[in-house]
Amino acid sequence: MAYAYFSGRDDYHFDHQEITHMDRNQLTKWLKTPVKMGHKYSLHAVYFCTGCGIIEVPPVITARWDAERFGVIPVATPRQANLFLITGYVSVKTLKAIIRTYEQMPEPKFTVGFGSCPVNGGMYWDSYNTIKHLDKYIPVDGWIAGCMPRPEAIFVAVVHLWTLIDKDMADGYKRYRKDYKAYRANQEQLFGTLEWPPLFPIGESK
Amino acid sequence: MVMHVVEIIVSPLLALIIGIFFLGLSRKIMARIHWRYGPPITQPVIDVIRLFSQKAFSHGMMFNLGIILSLAGSFVLILFLPMGNICPLSNSGGMLVILYVMLLAPLGIALSGGEAANPNVSIGISRKLIIALGYEVPLLLVLLTIMTRYHTISIVEIVRIQQNTTWALLDLPLLLSGIAYILILPAILGVRPFEIVQAPQEISSGPMAEYGGPFLALATIQHALSLFIGIALFVNLFLGGAGNPFTFFLKMLVVFILVLFINAALPRLRVEQAVKYLWRWPTLISLAGMIIILIIRR
Amino acid sequence: MSLDLLLIVAFSGALLTYVFGKISSKMRNAFGVVVSLALVVMVALLYGQTEEKIFYFGFLNLPLILRTNMLAWFFAISVSALGLLCIVFSLSYMKGRERGDFYYLMMLLINGAMLGIVFSGDLVSFFIFWEVMSWSTFLLISYNRGKALFAGMKYIIMSILGSVAMLIGMLSLYATYDTLNIVTLSTLISSASSGYLLFLSIIFCIAFAIKNAVMPLHTWLPEAYAEAPSPFTAVLSGMLTRMGMYGFLLIMYVMVGAARVLNLGPGLFKFNYILAWLGAVTIVIPTFIAMLQNDAKMLLAWHGIGQGGYMVLGIAFGTSLGVAGGIFHTLNHAIYIVLLFLSVAAVQYRTHGERDLNSLGGLIKKMPIAFIGGLLGISGLIGVPLTNGFASKWLIYKTLILEGSPFLAFAALIGTWGTILSVFKFLHNMFLGQLPEKYQDVKKSPFSMQLPIIILSFAILLFGILPGIPLKVINAIGVSFGFESLNVTFWGIASDTGALNTINIFAAVLVGCLVVALLFKIGPKATPIAQDDNYAAGAPVPKDKYHYTVDFYNPLYRMITPYLKDFIDAFYMKLAGWTQSLSNGVRRIYTGYVGHYVMYIVLFLASLIFIQLKWSPW
Repeated sequence: MAYAYFSGRDDYHFDHQEITHMDRNQLTKWLKTPVKMGHKYSLHAVYFCTGCGIIEVPPVITARWDAERFGVIPVATPRQANLFLITGYVSVKTLKAIIRTYEQMPEPKFTVGFGSCPVNGGMYWDSYNTIKHLDKYIPVDGWIAGCMPRPEAIFVAVVHLWTLIDKDMADGYKRYRKDYKAYRANQEQLFGTLEWPPLFPIGESK
Repeated sequence: MVMHVVEIIVSPLLALIIGIFFLGLSRKIMARIHWRYGPPITQPVIDVIRLFSQKAFSHGMMFNLGIILSLAGSFVLILFLPMGNICPLSNSGGMLVILYVMLLAPLGIALSGGEAANPNVSIGISRKLIIALGYEVPLLLVLLTIMTRYHTISIVEIVRIQQNTTWALLDLPLLLSGIAYILILPAILGVRPFEIVQAPQEISSGPMAEYGGPFLALATIQHALSLFIGIALFVNLFLGGAGNPFTFFLKMLVVFILVLFINAALPRLRVEQAVKYLWRWPTLISLAGMIIILIIRR
Repeated sequence: MSLDLLLIVAFSGALLTYVFGKISSKMRNAFGVVVSLALVVMVALLYGQTEEKIFYFGFLNLPLILRTNMLAWFFAISVSALGLLCIVFSLSYMKGRERGDFYYLMMLLINGAMLGIVFSGDLVSFFIFWEVMSWSTFLLISYNRGKALFAGMKYIIMSILGSVAMLIGMLSLYATYDTLNIVTLSTLISSASSGYLLFLSIIFCIAFAIKNAVMPLHTWLPEAYAEAPSPFTAVLSGMLTRMGMYGFLLIMYVMVGAARVLNLGPGLFKFNYILAWLGAVTIVIPTFIAMLQNDAKMLLAWHGIGQGGYMVLGIAFGTSLGVAGGIFHTLNHAIYIVLLFLSVAAVQYRTHGERDLNSLGGLIKKMPIAFIGGLLGISGLIGVPLTNGFASKWLIYKTLILEGSPFLAFAALIGTWGTILSVFKFLHNMFLGQLPEKYQDVKKSPFSMQLPIIILSFAILLFGILPGIPLKVINAIGVSFGFESLNVTFWGIASDTGALNTINIFAAVLVGCLVVALLFKIGPKATPIAQDDNYAAGAPVPKDKYHYTVDFYNPLYRMITPYLKDFIDAFYMKLAGWTQSLSNGVRRIYTGYVGHYVMYIVLFLASLIFIQLKWSPW
């Protein structure tokens, strides 16, 4: 795990000494918190090919690294998914599609940014056409740095996401609902008037 | 009477468990064929639990009602199929009722998907109906051959006759019909090479494109049940049904694994190629089978 | 309640409606509804009675007889009830249209004429009412002018050919037996030779096959249905074409009798067997042609032809289950095809006459009652269990399978699948999918349109769940033909070789829906979203372009279109073309120039003199 560094919320600290074991076959946990366990072991990812990082995804979901044994498969439409992988640089044009896709996903949903470009612009830190801080426009639950991270990094992200879900810290979607006014303002500052209506009524935050 | 009510409650539950087991088993076996580990066999259960906890989006009243009607139709159909010696509603119309209640499931999904106003859904539904027309021609010929041979329209009667004599597949005049049914079985189940309706890469999962959350959970359960129904029908008509549920499920398991092997090896056909195939060899073979039975009866 | 009073009310009601229309349209509407309602009530009071009334009008010394029995009552109640519903529907549909008085006069006249047909006890009154019905249909089909005139012309020419065939049959009967009383004829005919019976059956059945649109005599139907005003198309398809069915039953089972008609014809080519095969062909081919149509009413019209095939197949097959199934299917088909045409009419009313399926869409949210009507109508047409179509089709299938005609059963069953494809295209292109911009302001249908749709939808479900109600009447009809009685229960048919128990299916579906609805409620409530919040791979949903209707079954079209060219219609059109050029040629004799006429006379006299001189015959 030394080659993939996952950073989540500021209050999320992961001690590399404690190895996470899969608790999928612990029946008591299923009976106590079925929703959390369900989300952990059935992370269906939207097959959204953002940028250069998508080349790392097909080896992960096929026979070489086999993400299906963790319950991670790609699905056809965002309506069926609960995991969004932003795997590369986000150009301004792609951001519109990303926002629309993110808003079409049902809640609860989790987002992971891959590569250095969503984190801080990465290689395109001084480009006029890319987004430097994705977190201003859609909420991101965790980042993995690298240019590109290896396919195993996706498993790192999944394992960290499990820990976050267990500790109720994977609340990007709740932040989106709470601070929708700010997110929408950021989106409108970039694009001008947006063609789609606000997802949540602005002016009331639940 | 009490036995009857218990049967009515138990048989859909049993079908549900076996159907979900088959779904999970299919993913595991496909994974092992691909030389990878694959998800656990209980993965569809995990998926359904996760889906039930998601807050989805609905396009209107018909969107909700359609998927409910579809799943209800599949559950109702289970009640008419004999599973070993469990058959709650055995004298309500026989084979014809089964053929027609089988229409409720795709109709429900078609209606609910239609309200989603997404052309992927409409294309998926049109493909589903075309492929259904494709396999119905040989399937009807095969069913009519069996009904003419055993001179009854009740499926319980057909199972009983096979239990007393021999499997219909091993009955020489019905051999051609059996071969035709085996050739169209992948089309009825919707596995490759006839996995045309869902086709995630082509039409973004067809009718399920706008389903999320509980809708997708019900659609997954409906898919599991339709797998169960397709295989159960074949086992009842050609492999003699069974005297008890355990032998029945064993026979279903063998058939399912063989179908999975075909699924693993073949790619997906286009709709018109599939219909051309279904209207050529299986139809000719089942037509020959019907003519043989008619000649014997004369 | 006497029969002549019934017919007097029917015809005078029609005329008075026209007169009242000249005074005020509201009075005419109200009076039209009152007359239809009165007819329904009077027919309902006639249930179970068998009476006969004789009139002597001094017409060639032939009495005109009116009689009622179970068969007549069955058809009469369907005619009057559906006529009432269509008149109620027309109240809103014809509002503001021109020549409304003429329309109501014709609708009520046709209503009365159909009642006259079923209640007539001798062939003369049958023929008179048949002709009244034919020409008033022609007048009403051509109501819209333009293409409707051509469609009406096609209809009336073919109908007249049928009437001529019927007239030939009647003349031959009169010449042989000196009476045209149906009851007397049925006893006298039973001693006739097989060849004569075959001739009679064929000649009468030509007339009824043209009316009932059995292939290959069906070509008038699609255009006539498509161009007629929609509430009248409902009456046309529901009951008018089924007068041909009444005729079939009359000639085959009332006059010739079940014992003789099932043995006519040499060896393998028995008369009823050939008729059954014609019915089977009529089921399969039009159902697939319907799949290719882009016009809503043409699609339903081709289905009307196809379902007529089921009825002909049922009654031609000649078993008690078959006859019951065929007659039951007549009633069921009437209910759901009227419902479907009324749904199309409701949509047409709000979208200013739009019939083209490729430009409609998404109207489910704007016109929910019309959608429910369309949905239940197509469920009945397909034969989903718990609808009435399933009950009648079940009877036909069972008899075909158990009597060992699997090919006919196959034709009937594959017809259902063709139906599923084409009516789903119909429902999808009209009500589902994306709503076009120009129909964003479409309002719901008015109440007088919703009422018949709701009543008919309810009837479909009622007769599907409780088929015993009409089956009792139909069983009585079957027994009166000499078939064995079916063991009719409230929920279906009890029998050793497979029973039908709709209560089980109904209870199972109800409980199943409840259980699944409860299961659905486990999850969180779904958020409603707008139509354009749709998956389009992250792109905005294009307006008016995100709708899949054109070439709905494109892969299938490429396979089946070469086999479905309408060469029968082309053949008839060619015949009509030859007749037209022949008449054109004959017309040229009359040049209007007197000199030519003098020349004709001189030439004729010259040829007469030449013949006399050469061969001296005189």
